[in-house]
Amino acid sequence: MARVRRSGREVQASSAGLRAWARRHAFSLFSSLGNLSRHPLGSLMTVGVLAFALALPLALQVALVNLERIGQQWERLDTLSVFLDTGLVAADVDRLVSRVSSWPEVSTVDPISPEQGMAELSQQLGLTEVADLVADNPLPWVLEVSPRSTAGRGALLMRLDQEAGVANVIVDLQWLERLDAMTELLAQFVWLLGALLALGVAVIVGNTIRLDIQNRREEIEVMALVGATAAFIRRPFLYTGLWYGLLGGLLAWAMVQGGLLILTGPVEELSRTYAERFDLVGPVPEVIFVLVAGSGLLGVIGSWLVVGRSLAAMDS
Amino acid sequence: MITFEHVGKRYPGGIQAVSDVNFHLERGELAFLTGHSGAGKSTLLRLIALLERPSRGQVLFDGRNVSKLARRHIPYLRRRIGVIFQDHRLLTDKRVFDNVALPLLIAGVSFGEIQRRVRAALDKVGLLDKEAMYPPMLSGGEQQRVGIARAIIGRPPVLLADEPTGNLDPVLSEQLMNTFLQLNETGVTVLIASHDLDLVRRLRRRVLVLANGEIIDDVAAGPGSTSGARDG
Repeated sequence: MARVRRSGREVQASSAGLRAWARRHAFSLFSSLGNLSRHPLGSLMTVGVLAFALALPLALQVALVNLERIGQQWERLDTLSVFLDTGLVAADVDRLVSRVSSWPEVSTVDPISPEQGMAELSQQLGLTEVADLVADNPLPWVLEVSPRSTAGRGALLMRLDQEAGVANVIVDLQWLERLDAMTELLAQFVWLLGALLALGVAVIVGNTIRLDIQNRREEIEVMALVGATAAFIRRPFLYTGLWYGLLGGLLAWAMVQGGLLILTGPVEELSRTYAERFDLVGPVPEVIFVLVAGSGLLGVIGSWLVVGRSLAAMDS
Repeated sequence: MITFEHVGKRYPGGIQAVSDVNFHLERGELAFLTGHSGAGKSTLLRLIALLERPSRGQVLFDGRNVSKLARRHIPYLRRRIGVIFQDHRLLTDKRVFDNVALPLLIAGVSFGEIQRRVRAALDKVGLLDKEAMYPPMLSGGEQQRVGIARAIIGRPPVLLADEPTGNLDPVLSEQLMNTFLQLNETGVTVLIASHDLDLVRRLRRRVLVLANGEIIDDVAAGPGSTSGARDG
């Protein structure tokens, strides 16, 4: 029994022991893959269930990222439109522009002449003859003022309003703030959903492994009879959990990419009507890595949780 | 090699399978264990491989008390004991080759070595041409021999067989016993539970007779006891 004691630890310092250890791992790895491929339909269905569960938060995350990008594109609308009195001449406007530019809370001042404004309006309305229709250009000079920070926006608004030659200051930021609040809420929702479905992945894998263990009870008993350690018996199931997780994550990614591909056309159509250039972006590599690796890890955790329990129950 | 000291085994529910068993088996010895069915033969073998723990008494394996061996050490004990089960305990969805290779896979032996040793073991039991088959495709006797190949593949110092000739015809039984005798010649300690009294008597080896959970008779090997080498 002296030898029994000495080899009590599976990992031995000697290189021969290390090679044996590596071979045992390789065996566990291949036998777990073999078991998956022996029941392709069942394995595929489990992976499918995992992929659906994972695709939902991923799709929402992608939607969120794109929504935030749209918001950023519209951030430039986060400017104050200062309508000047009609009848101001270009020289007056220049003076006003240079004065307002020197204010510390102002980042840029972009003057738009009545002619420019008319041209822009024509373009937006799709009517080239607006200028012809309106004999006298009724548009005033407009200054597009970008504040240095959003914080002092209110005070800046007041100061601009008191400036001579300013007719009124228009600021339509409420909807942008709402969009911000909505994306914030959606982000929270994605996290919550992600956490819930991550738990779901662990539970699904755990349950699948539990059934797998019950089905292979005979094999497990025989392995124990011929001297397999608990670790050796456990290992293929942990690998199986890993494969389920990884494959589920990869399939979820593929599903979301497929969805993006389908949506690319319609989104282009939509952005054209807004005369905006907007492309959908897929999940970034970091997110894909977290998804696939995290799902693999959850698979291992899920199977770890049931394997020990199921095998102990079998032993008694 | 194997010593039983006042070993008793009571199953939950009060069934006393073995009440007070004492015997000692020398290293390299071959002995038969006989007795009517239900006498406790299987339980006794199971106690050696720690498939059961004794309720009382001590089981010594190679001089060490294994009755209280920690659970995590049990696999290493089992690797030193080849067990041949009455019901074969083969994996029906694995090929004969993989069934026999199992103990070596567990030990982490290289694939080349596994291949060589599995072929050698299958050759020894006369099943070399059946390595790619699945156990259900084989006859009862062939399955039994696959079980033997699996039991000896790890070259364990001790071999336990529970009714190995249980459902074999006399010719096959004889062949099987010769296999055990040959293994014993190479120094393996062998203990065979059998109720085939004719066969047991003919071989003139040591016989332990079990009745009502006790060893009631211990017949030493007779003169001119058969040796595996004789029949080849």
